[in-house]
Amino acid sequence: MKCTRCKAPASTALPSHNAAFCPDCFPLFFTKQVETAIRRQKMFTHDERILVALSGGKDSLALMLELSLQGYDVTGLHIDLAIPNSSPKARAKVEAFCQQHGLNLQVLEVAKEGLPIPAIKKHIKRPVCSVCGKIKRHYFNRIAREGGFDALATGHNLDDEAARLFANTLRWDSGYLSDQGPTLPGEEGFIRKVKPLYRLTEFETANYAFMKGIEIHSDPCPYSGGASFTGHKKLLGELEHKSPGSKFSFYDNFLKRGRPAFKLLEKEQGDPLSPCDTCGSPTSLDKCGVCRIRETLERNMKEAGESL
Amino acid sequence: MITVNIEPEGKSTTLYKTRTVIALLNKLDLRPTMALVIRNGELLTPDVKLFNGDVITVKKVISAG
Repeated sequence: MKCTRCKAPASTALPSHNAAFCPDCFPLFFTKQVETAIRRQKMFTHDERILVALSGGKDSLALMLELSLQGYDVTGLHIDLAIPNSSPKARAKVEAFCQQHGLNLQVLEVAKEGLPIPAIKKHIKRPVCSVCGKIKRHYFNRIAREGGFDALATGHNLDDEAARLFANTLRWDSGYLSDQGPTLPGEEGFIRKVKPLYRLTEFETANYAFMKGIEIHSDPCPYSGGASFTGHKKLLGELEHKSPGSKFSFYDNFLKRGRPAFKLLEKEQGDPLSPCDTCGSPTSLDKCGVCRIRETLERNMKEAGESL
Repeated sequence: MITVNIEPEGKSTTLYKTRTVIALLNKLDLRPTMALVIRNGELLTPDVKLFNGDVITVKKVISAG
């Protein structure tokens, strides 16, 4: 197989683009996809400050490197979840990566915020992945706002977005369907959120990370066994294999034709937001979800005779 | 005989009569865009031929959360 661009031996075949690239040309393809995403979805400009959420996985680190290479003003944010044998490894990869490339990094430790994930898993009777996601989103938004950043960028790729859309569609969840997309404008206490990798698949970001020599944290989270999105990704992967390009078409056409309708519906039915009584984050109740989780955790631990 | 190291599981297996990357992926029940296939530090496309004694790394790309 030869490179579509320069005819050298290819290293990466991309059936959905009916193309293949060599190690020299693939990063150019990757850069172009990110540039197109930022431009078409009006994500941010070179004059703005971008906070990039860094988990230590291939997507977030690839995104951070690519945005810095494109000359954007980026700062990384890693959230240390305090999960034994997992969080220290992820944090070490992120810190080494940022040091190697001379990139700014902030680290937030959830244990210092009274929300260590192992205690939440033990004492909160809700799926831990859901609560963990809520806590991460809360602090991404809060730190971005308090730090005066213009946008928060996450490494969500096309597989993540298509799997999430599939899950939301299975439930016809109009609330989530109304605001799923690669750019969520900042409003009502929420920072602008962007996903510059939404045009690229997990396979493509993995190729990029490999070619750029990025050392990633690839161990799955010890608490995420059987996460439903993994199953959805496999289903969509089979569909993509039989019909290359169908994943992007599913997501892109939703953005063009589906989301506007759900947005209108949510405008009519959605709950108004106001600042949380405790932390000031936007919420539809008196207290935001994370402050309520912290209170429940403290209460349940006290009843069990434990403390943080 | 081909030695295959599978990541992130850290498993290792041996395959016989496997002459191409696509045949290797089929034996592992993987689609071509579900894993990176690496030999001597180089990425391989599905059409690439494999040889006796090759040591191959298969890196699955689906992140599990």
